[in-house]
Amino acid sequence: MTQDSRTNSIVINGLNDSAFKVRLNRNLEIIQSVLANPTTVIGLVIVILMLMMALLAPVITEPNMPDPYQMPRDWQAARSAPLTPGHVLGTTNRGGDVYYGVVWGARTSLKLSLIVVCLTVVLGVTIGSIAGIVGGKVDEVLMRIVDVFLSIPELIFALAIAAILGPSFTNIILALVVVFWVKYARIMRAQVIRIKQRDYVDAARIMGDSKIQIYLKDILPNSFSPVMVQATLDMGNIVLVGATLSFIGLSEAGIAEWGVLVSEGQAGISAGRWWASTFPGLMVFLWALAFNLVGDGLRDVLDPRTETKR
Amino acid sequence: MQIRDYIIRRLLVLPVLIIGTSIIVFALTRIGGSPIGIYLSHEMNPAEVQEMKERFHLDKPVPVQYFYWIKGVTQGDLGWSGVASAPVVDVFPKKFAATMELAIAAGIVAVSLGIALGTFAGARRNKLADHIIRVVSVGGASMPLFWFAILLLIIFWVWLGWFPIGRSDPNLFEAIAHPTGFYTIDALLAGNFAAFRDAIWHLIMPAVALGYGATAIIARMMRSSLIEELQEDYVDAAKAKGLAERVVLKKHARRNALIPTVTVIGLTFGFLLQGTVVAEIIFRWPGLGRWMASAVLRGDQATIMTYVMFTSILFLIVNLVVDIIYANLDRRVVLGE
Amino acid sequence: MSPDTIYSSDSLSGDLIASVSDLKVYFQSKQGMVHSVDGVSFDIVDGEMMGLVGETGCGKSVTARAFMQLIQTPPGVLAGGSIHFKSQKQCKKCTGSGCDDCSNTGREIVDLLSLTERQIRELRGDRIAMIFQDPGKALNPGLTIRSQVAEVFQEHRESDVFERAGIADTMSGLTSYLLKQYVRQETNFITKLLLKFPPFSLARKKVDKAINGLVSDALAETQIPNANKIMERFPHELSGGMKQRVMIAQAIACNPDLLIADEPTTALDVTVQARVLDLIKDLQKRHKTSVLYISHDLSLVRRVCDRVAVMYAGKIVETGDAETIFINPKHPYTQGLIKALPSMTHERGKLEAIEGMVPELIEPKAGCRFASRCKQKKANCDKTDPELKAVSNKDKSHKVSCFLYE
Repeated sequence: MTQDSRTNSIVINGLNDSAFKVRLNRNLEIIQSVLANPTTVIGLVIVILMLMMALLAPVITEPNMPDPYQMPRDWQAARSAPLTPGHVLGTTNRGGDVYYGVVWGARTSLKLSLIVVCLTVVLGVTIGSIAGIVGGKVDEVLMRIVDVFLSIPELIFALAIAAILGPSFTNIILALVVVFWVKYARIMRAQVIRIKQRDYVDAARIMGDSKIQIYLKDILPNSFSPVMVQATLDMGNIVLVGATLSFIGLSEAGIAEWGVLVSEGQAGISAGRWWASTFPGLMVFLWALAFNLVGDGLRDVLDPRTETKR
Repeated sequence: MQIRDYIIRRLLVLPVLIIGTSIIVFALTRIGGSPIGIYLSHEMNPAEVQEMKERFHLDKPVPVQYFYWIKGVTQGDLGWSGVASAPVVDVFPKKFAATMELAIAAGIVAVSLGIALGTFAGARRNKLADHIIRVVSVGGASMPLFWFAILLLIIFWVWLGWFPIGRSDPNLFEAIAHPTGFYTIDALLAGNFAAFRDAIWHLIMPAVALGYGATAIIARMMRSSLIEELQEDYVDAAKAKGLAERVVLKKHARRNALIPTVTVIGLTFGFLLQGTVVAEIIFRWPGLGRWMASAVLRGDQATIMTYVMFTSILFLIVNLVVDIIYANLDRRVVLGE
Repeated sequence: MSPDTIYSSDSLSGDLIASVSDLKVYFQSKQGMVHSVDGVSFDIVDGEMMGLVGETGCGKSVTARAFMQLIQTPPGVLAGGSIHFKSQKQCKKCTGSGCDDCSNTGREIVDLLSLTERQIRELRGDRIAMIFQDPGKALNPGLTIRSQVAEVFQEHRESDVFERAGIADTMSGLTSYLLKQYVRQETNFITKLLLKFPPFSLARKKVDKAINGLVSDALAETQIPNANKIMERFPHELSGGMKQRVMIAQAIACNPDLLIADEPTTALDVTVQARVLDLIKDLQKRHKTSVLYISHDLSLVRRVCDRVAVMYAGKIVETGDAETIFINPKHPYTQGLIKALPSMTHERGKLEAIEGMVPELIEPKAGCRFASRCKQKKANCDKTDPELKAVSNKDKSHKVSCFLYE
């Protein structure tokens, strides 16, 4: 018996080494095929530009002290059209500089989407894994809860939560976390169950790996790609829904956020002042579009089912 | 699995989901604190406050309050809307009709346009038209409705002045009776063509804005499933019979491609429902969505609860119906192939 | 018809119904051009059953599809060659008396590859029909058997339909227009609506009944029991063998001159295979239809076919009388194929497989395609292509493309 397991482990070590190389090659291949799709590349370029804008916000604008996430107010220059000196993209009715809002809005959106994605992935993956691994009654109950969460349309659910908690940016984050975790739980559970049934997990079990070892070594790494695809798509969706909530009026008025700015710009529309809503809205669109393009590109490459379809 | 068993199972799950939703909704509102505030005024003394609490069962534990709420709902008592200054039950039907009129109009736009564009693109794969439709539909899935609606408003209302905002011209609206609450239908029933024209005229812009996202989703699905169907052997077999390209496309491929598209149509209904909130704010449409938006900003719990419950139930039922249609349409599903 | 589509008289002689010459079909891929069919030539004699044999991916299905212009372009490319076909129709030039254009047969000769969409559609399903490999996939899952078989008659036998309905002479004006639209499946929303109401609905019902009769007869022809009941079923409600009978009924409905059977029994249960095969053979004999029978199974082909062409990697390697090739195979590949067959004379466990793999067909180099697997390979096998030549002066019909016999 001991003899057997020793030879096994040697074989496994050998396998691991080559498995690593295979995995590395596979990753290179994935990157190559992702970059072969022109629309994905366009998405990626926009994503990079957005990230640069968010990170360089204090450099390309003069931060509004003490809180740079608040819109600066220049009441003298209120209602300026684009290309006014000092206000490239014009100002709102209340003297907010649209350019400042666009740039710092990227930073706000990055903050929002990163926090929500991290929290939802952790929450969803944990709950989905528990449902998949434990199975039985626990699985049944958890999945019914997931079903209930999915039966309320996303935006309305988030709207209700944010409304009950009171209008603030933090509460928008909370509301989005409550709404967005369910997809990860579903994905994770499906992955766990699918991988549990595969041969190599059986092989691992025969070799005496414990459940947790199997989970950490085989199931978790293999579930990485569908979760990542969903996370990429959600980076866009979260900003889309978050900006909509802000537009309706659920964040603090006056913060540098795209939805808030569109809402503020609405007041000038009937008088023909189109710019204050148009530019920040365009940013939301580009942000969501870019992450959707990259997410779709990733899915095409990582999900072999759709890969053969094309 | 037999279709009948499938439907029965789905019907059994439905009440569970509805009860689950109601618990979540109720729990949410109680997290925000006791709703007693809206019933109180500054002149009340502590004894009167206590009396009010007892009257609305707010002195009882939260789970008991839940049952009182459910009991009220089943008896048609949906609470008092602070925003509308009226019982929710009284305001709801009129607003509901307005919202459904908008959502259905947008749905018609989305389904007809989505299927047409998807078919057109799928049949001309990798040609120019296909690329254009793909770009339009990829854009639709990422388009913030509030922005797209504002763009339409700027172009067609402010600049061109082609379409009005709001739901109606008040004079024409007052001139006819409103038995159904659907302005278009009421105008037709009244035989008032001017009112009907007015209704359609007011509907176009919000319906297009609201429908764009759903159009994009449906077109995308239709395109990919048509492309898939066109690779099937039976398409070649149909061609081998000497059938015209048109017959092969419409009678054979499109018919089957519609089946998976149906499921997506159910999902886009949720998309349309939630979109009404934004569309109604921007186009000043006097429906449920705009009411909900004000309720949200003013903490009008009865309205929020009713709205969330109602849209969820509607969404669940529509998806159930769609799934049943799907199971009936797709003969391959029944076989479990 | 433009003059260049009419065959030059010399090689489609009297008893041939079709002649494939130097057919080249390539497919674009990311790695380069795939030469799926690379210079294939063979003839089909009128009334015979011709077998086309080869492994999966050797190009036999592509060849079959080329007959019907069913190759999607792109990615497919018709790189050259021709498929001449002689239908039952009269030659348009000499109206049947015989001229140079029709090799003095009096029948119309066309190049299938250069026909327009409209012209090929007239032939498809009428003069040339096809049976597909997997009847489960080749029948539309969403339509009844009736409506699928009916399409053949609606497309090609409009006058029969009206005659059978007994309204051919009485039709006039709007009724005639509507019913023609109906049969041709060209109805739109308005005409569909009109056809729902009398007097049009009465005539429509007669037409429906006539179509039902034609469909039922066609199904009965392939020995489908209860044809009237089966008609109303959907494909998934039938067994595989039954589905293939429906496909066959559909194919022979218009009594075609040429029937292409693309592995018609491969997807079926072994027990059903023999019966379907016998059915095809029987129908072929009764109707004197020419059949191009495609299969990977040489023993099966020997059972039903008169002549055989063996295909390997996009080329014909050997062709001749079915019996001759089976008993006296010349090409090393054919020999290998026959050795790989189980038979009564073989000892148990002594089947031989052909070593190696089918070569890549992407931008292939010159030289025999089989060289890499051939045990009798010679020096020039890698350098030049062998040509298909008669093995001996005695038997001109037995041809092989191998340097061993030069």
